[in-house]
Amino acid sequence: MTCPFCGKEFGEAAARTACAGCSLVGGCRKVKCPHCGYEMPEETRLVRAIRRWRSRRHDRSAD
Amino acid sequence: MQGAAWLQRFRRRWRGGSEAADGAAPEARGAAPPAEGRAAPAGRILIIGSPNVGKSALFNRFTGRYATVSNYPGTTVELARGRTSRVPGGAEVIDTPGMYSLLPITEEERVARATLVAEPPAAVIHVIDAKNVERMLGLTVQLVEAGLPVVVALNMWDEAAELGIRVDVARLEESLGVPVAATVATEGVGPGALAERLPEARPPRACLRVDYGPVLEGAISRIARLLGAAPGFSARARALLLLQGDAEEHTRVQRELGPDVAARVRRIVDDATRAAGHALHYLVAMARKSCADEILARAVQLPPEERTGLRERLSRFCMNPLTGLPLLAFVLYFGLYKFVGDFGAGTLVDFLESWFQDYVNPWVNAAAERALPWAAARDLVAGEFGVTTLGIRYAVAIVLPIVGTFFIAFSILEDSGYLPRLAMLIDRVFKRIGLNGRAVIPMVLGFGCDTMATMVTRTLESKRERLIATLLLALAVPCSAQMGVILGLLSGRPAALAVWAGVVTGIFLLVGAAAARVMPGERPQFYMELPPLRLPRPANIFLKTYTRMVWYLKEVLPLFVLASVIIWIGRLTGLFDLATGALVPVLRLMGLPPETAVAFLFGFFRRDYGAAGLFDVHQQGLLSGNQLAVAAIVLTLFLPCVAQFLIMKKERGLRVTLLVSAFVLAVAFGAGCATHLALTVLGVQL
Repeated sequence: MTCPFCGKEFGEAAARTACAGCSLVGGCRKVKCPHCGYEMPEETRLVRAIRRWRSRRHDRSAD
Repeated sequence: MQGAAWLQRFRRRWRGGSEAADGAAPEARGAAPPAEGRAAPAGRILIIGSPNVGKSALFNRFTGRYATVSNYPGTTVELARGRTSRVPGGAEVIDTPGMYSLLPITEEERVARATLVAEPPAAVIHVIDAKNVERMLGLTVQLVEAGLPVVVALNMWDEAAELGIRVDVARLEESLGVPVAATVATEGVGPGALAERLPEARPPRACLRVDYGPVLEGAISRIARLLGAAPGFSARARALLLLQGDAEEHTRVQRELGPDVAARVRRIVDDATRAAGHALHYLVAMARKSCADEILARAVQLPPEERTGLRERLSRFCMNPLTGLPLLAFVLYFGLYKFVGDFGAGTLVDFLESWFQDYVNPWVNAAAERALPWAAARDLVAGEFGVTTLGIRYAVAIVLPIVGTFFIAFSILEDSGYLPRLAMLIDRVFKRIGLNGRAVIPMVLGFGCDTMATMVTRTLESKRERLIATLLLALAVPCSAQMGVILGLLSGRPAALAVWAGVVTGIFLLVGAAAARVMPGERPQFYMELPPLRLPRPANIFLKTYTRMVWYLKEVLPLFVLASVIIWIGRLTGLFDLATGALVPVLRLMGLPPETAVAFLFGFFRRDYGAAGLFDVHQQGLLSGNQLAVAAIVLTLFLPCVAQFLIMKKERGLRVTLLVSAFVLAVAFGAGCATHLALTVLGVQL
């Protein structure tokens, strides 16, 4: 995913490591950019499915 | 003649390397833990670069997709390994995870750096997105400084050309002192030419040298002398990592050179930090940026419209105080006041509130009357303070439309790339209150939820900054729902809104400046690479808003229900009346009616809950313009909610939390009394 603040990209694993030591231990349902610390809500399953569908459609049209 | 000698030398290197590598099966190679300082550097190519620049596409072009993918030992990060026949005798190719800097932050970056050190390469291909050379050159400079045999692949060359970006490859080569080749990896254009340049890859000798200034250069030399020659990065690069506080490099020094040398290195770093007067990583970043800018000016030509086009002009407008502040006022007026305050807190709340008042509440009250014979049980779900008629109504009819519109406005700002520019704009103001532009992250997040933002203050560098930011978040940064409700309350009274905005902003700056004086420390520095300005896409805005609303509902509904239950218990035991009764004399001092005591009491549970309570009191027509302004000021500055209090305790300790809470309470009521007094004495009716 791309951080909307610093524009850097990171994976889910990196986001998890950015939360190390947090008292909420992931219970906040947020994703944290490991580069700048900006937080954004974790995408719901529905949103992830829509994004996957859109990217597949985009790939097909690019082919 | 010279070319033939190169070729001979190169062939020897690659053959030697391939023989060594061929001794093991690819699977075994993929799974083997890379030993640090492993010998036999020849015959290995490492592909390095930021995420999404086409590293994997280039890897596929080099290896023909025959790759072994395995986790780097002890991590979940994958490394892809394959073989290429594009170089004489063949070579092993490793596709490393995305990295932005040799100073690692993420696990991926740590693995990429460890691979560079543990598996010394014959060539490092640094893949660069030709469209964003500016953002990529920093890593190239670091790789060259590290003395690695770098070859730069200017990938996505076609897309850069389409945008009118012209990179003078020869000049870039000359500036960096390493070979550069243009590629379009996805189309298979350029890997051949790139492979032909690989023989020229060697640790740069007369390469570019970043000038870090006398203090840092002195420290670099002293540390480099202590380190001496070792496998991996050059002593200069290692000294720079140590000066930037790289923990892994410190551990390595401790392990390989002993505690005495490690202690001497620490002393040099401390001395340099004191002498420089700034955070060293900031100075290093600035020196590299200036070096990269010089190279860019020499070798990269942006299209005229890119240099002076709308996007670039808008970017400068956002950051220049003369134009940026009016632009910020424009954003606040239309984004927050008109859209969130007028439309969200006005039109949408009115609609949902009337729906609750006309249909939901009467139905719930009637159902409770029929089904529950006990008055206490009826009060829990229905009536004035019931879970449905108060808790759920507040969450759904008052708070949700407000945070919904706020999230739409916020997502647009976020996707447009405005926020980092806002950070640059307010950096100067923030420095006066002991913070820097980086603190815009917790402050902006505070508008979403102050509790989360308090946790984010840990990303600030010094204890002083973290403390000032925590105090300001607890005091003068309203959360989105609270601010939306307040904007909705004051939207029909511009004078009251102006008084509220003036008092809250004034207190924010005054308390910040006073805190910075009380807690002296070094002037914080801030630097960040700016992502490009973008046109937000409606589908993305919709998905982001939906995600945030789902998050908010999951967060807020249980707490609103819980608050209603606590209030119900309080009413049953008489504690609720006792607490509201205790607040009444203080409210009188501020000229507020006793009914607002309930809203302030709600505010202890959640700030937005309190704001919704105030909205309710206003709808009953109990507040004049002056009272509205005073109540909004006090509620904005009021004590942090329970969750924020707990997080403050966790992050800053109980003593600091109690001190901050007492201070906030005093300032909130003090500001309320002073505003009421000033308005009364001046005879102002808002």
